[in-house]
Parts: sequence; C-alpha cells; structure tokens
Amino acid sequence: MDKISNHPTEELLAAYSAGSLPLSQALCIATHLEQCRDCMHELQQLDRVGSELMQQLEPAPAPERLKQEMLDRLDSLEDDSREAVFGGDPSIPRCLRKFVSTDYRNMRWRRVSPGIQTVELCRDSNGARVELLKIKPGSAAVTHTHSGDEYTVILEGSFSDEHGLYRKGDFVVKHPRDRHTPVATLDRECICLAVTEGPIQLTGFFGRLLNPLLRRNYA
Amino acid sequence: MRTMESKEASNNRLATLSACMSKVAEQRDKSAFAELFDHYAPQIRAYSLAREPGADLVADELVQEVMSRVWLKADKFNPRLANLNTWIFTLARNCRVDYLRRNSRYVTEIDPTDIFDNIEYEGPSPFQMAHQSRAEERIRAGLKALPREQSEILTTVYLEGKSHQQASEELQLPLGTVKSRVRLALKKLQVLVTR
Repeated sequence: MDKISNHPTEELLAAYSAGSLPLSQALCIATHLEQCRDCMHELQQLDRVGSELMQQLEPAPAPERLKQEMLDRLDSLEDDSREAVFGGDPSIPRCLRKFVSTDYRNMRWRRVSPGIQTVELCRDSNGARVELLKIKPGSAAVTHTHSGDEYTVILEGSFSDEHGLYRKGDFVVKHPRDRHTPVATLDRECICLAVTEGPIQLTGFFGRLLNPLLRRNYA
Repeated sequence: MRTMESKEASNNRLATLSACMSKVAEQRDKSAFAELFDHYAPQIRAYSLAREPGADLVADELVQEVMSRVWLKADKFNPRLANLNTWIFTLARNCRVDYLRRNSRYVTEIDPTDIFDNIEYEGPSPFQMAHQSRAEERIRAGLKALPREQSEILTTVYLEGKSHQQASEELQLPLGTVKSRVRLALKKLQVLVTR
C-alpha cells in the first residue's frame, strides 16, 4: 500500500463508525478504508468508543418470551444474509464490485465534456448521486462550485486542482462554494468514485450556459 | 448512565462471555448462547431505545436480528482480532443501518453489507494485543472524564445515530461546533491515530 495523504476527517470517520452517515458517503469511506491501513486502525479505535458508549447505557431488560422464542428458533435459523464479496477483480475495491463487476472500461460511459465521461452507479435514499468519473489524461474539468458536498475517492490515476495533487486512494471532500478546477495528470486517465449531494454549479461564461442542462439531468 | 463496575469485574465478565462465544462457535452450545443473550440483549435494546425511545417492538426486532447473527456467524468471531463487546457493537450498528435502509421511503441499491462487512480487519501485532485491553480501559475512563458537552455529542452521534446536521439542529449549535466537539472528545479519549 502506498502511503495515502488525503483522509476523511476524524469526525467523518466517527460518523461512519456510528452508522449515522448516509450510505453513499459511507460507501466512499469504505472505498478509502480498503486502501488505507491508518484509517482502518483509526476505525477500530472508534468502534471501541461506540462499544464503550453502548455498555454505559442503562440496560433495558428483554422480555423473557423473547429469549425463549429465540432459543426455540435457533435450529431453524438460516443465514440469508448475502455474504460480502471477496472474489472478483482485486483492482476494484470490494465495496464497489456490486456495481463494477469486471472492468471500469466495460461500463456504459456517457460523455459530459470532451475530456470527461461519467457513469451513474446508483442513487442514495437521500437523492445523492453515486457515479464514476473518468477524466482523460491532462484534461481539465470545467471550473465548478457545489450546491451540496461532493465526496471523491480516487480509484486510478491522479488529478490536481488549485489545492493540491490527489492520488489513488485519496479521499477528497468539497463543500459548497469551494470552487475548483480538477485536472487529470498527464501520464494516464483518472477514474474516481464521486458522490454529489446536489447538482454542481459551473462557473465561467460557458459553464453558466450549461447549468440549466445539468440541473435537468440531476432532477 | 450506569455506575462503573471495577476494572477487574468487567475483565472477568468479558472473559466468561468470550468463553461462551467459543462454546457457541465450536459446540453449538445453546445454554452458552442463553448466557450471551442475558448479557447482551438488554444492551442492544437500550441501544435501539436510545434512537427511538418507546419503540419496544423495534428494539425487540433488533435484538432478534443481532442475536441471530451471533448464532449464525459465531465462527467468524476471532477473539484474537477483536474484543467481543466491540464485535457486538458493530453487529448492532450494522443491523440498525440495515433496518433503517429497509424502512426508508426511498430505497437505495447501496447495500450496507458491502460497506460494513467487507472490511478486513488486520490482526493486531502481539504488541497491540498487549495494549488492547488497556485501550478499552483508557476509553472507559476517558468517557467518564469528558466535559458534559463532549460526552453529550458522542451520545447523540453514536447512540441516537444522528448525523452532524441533525445534531446541530437538535442541540441548536452551528455545524462547525458539532464537528469540533466530536474531534475534541476523540482527542481527549486518545483514540486518534497519526495519519
């Protein structure tokens, strides 16, 4: 594992540990965790905090019949939970294999600008859009701001913007009004997992012309 | 909050419960399972009621869900990798997330199994093992010593399952304050890893 330099904040990881994040954001965190030993270690600590908090609650006794019912049912219990996926292409994070079964290249990419393609994986129950973005080597995305938070995890390649360089495994959050122009580095195309909570706002003359189209797409 | 029992008592109890867990895994021992139920069911119910006060049926359902997983996945629990209390907490959290997803108005294809069960915990080194039980004790003592506003925010996030946004509305605090209180509390508990 290469050393990763951009991580989720501790309070975001704590929300993941608490199970209080929208699933789309939790998916981004899980994608990062699979590649980041330090955050994994941090998560284990945070789970311990949750465990200690739970133990400090005043216990709420269970009715006796609940226990009896459980004991009577044990022999007929069947494991119908879907097993977590460990097989499949090791270059694709396990938590994404449900959506990307073989290769990023076999997805139904849709061109949004000369340098950028996208494929929507799903929506979260809060409406957030979960998608993959593919940026051609050296291509710049249009400068944009966000109407909601945008979460990005880099799956392949790297990109840079006004604030720095982001590589495979890096976790990046942009808040509303953070204006940025991501540019994929020259050596190869960049593939990211992106979760957007609201439509992005393009800035600049052409960008403003495109905004109504984007919003229509988002709705 | 419960009064604290002694360190020794809680360590002994954890050892007894872990032994029950191996009996369940290896011998499918139902009386050992009943012992685990007696200890954990009231905790799981309390955890559910913290989020939905008064919802006894939801709490009972969570108990059934978690304890079924304990029975079915007993062989997946590895006492060398995790503490039993922490394992139960993660099961309860995963079941609650799953319950909320199934009952949400807009169903999403994102499956909590992929998010939470897919994570491979790496085994701790012997050095970490030696520090593991101390880590739990340190967190327990640290929680007791937290200023009220910081333990309140951890309770809101972990037990009531509120997002930072919901916490900020409920406690009438700016979002930034909610986040910095969580961060401060974690710093005091000394659980932050250099990343």
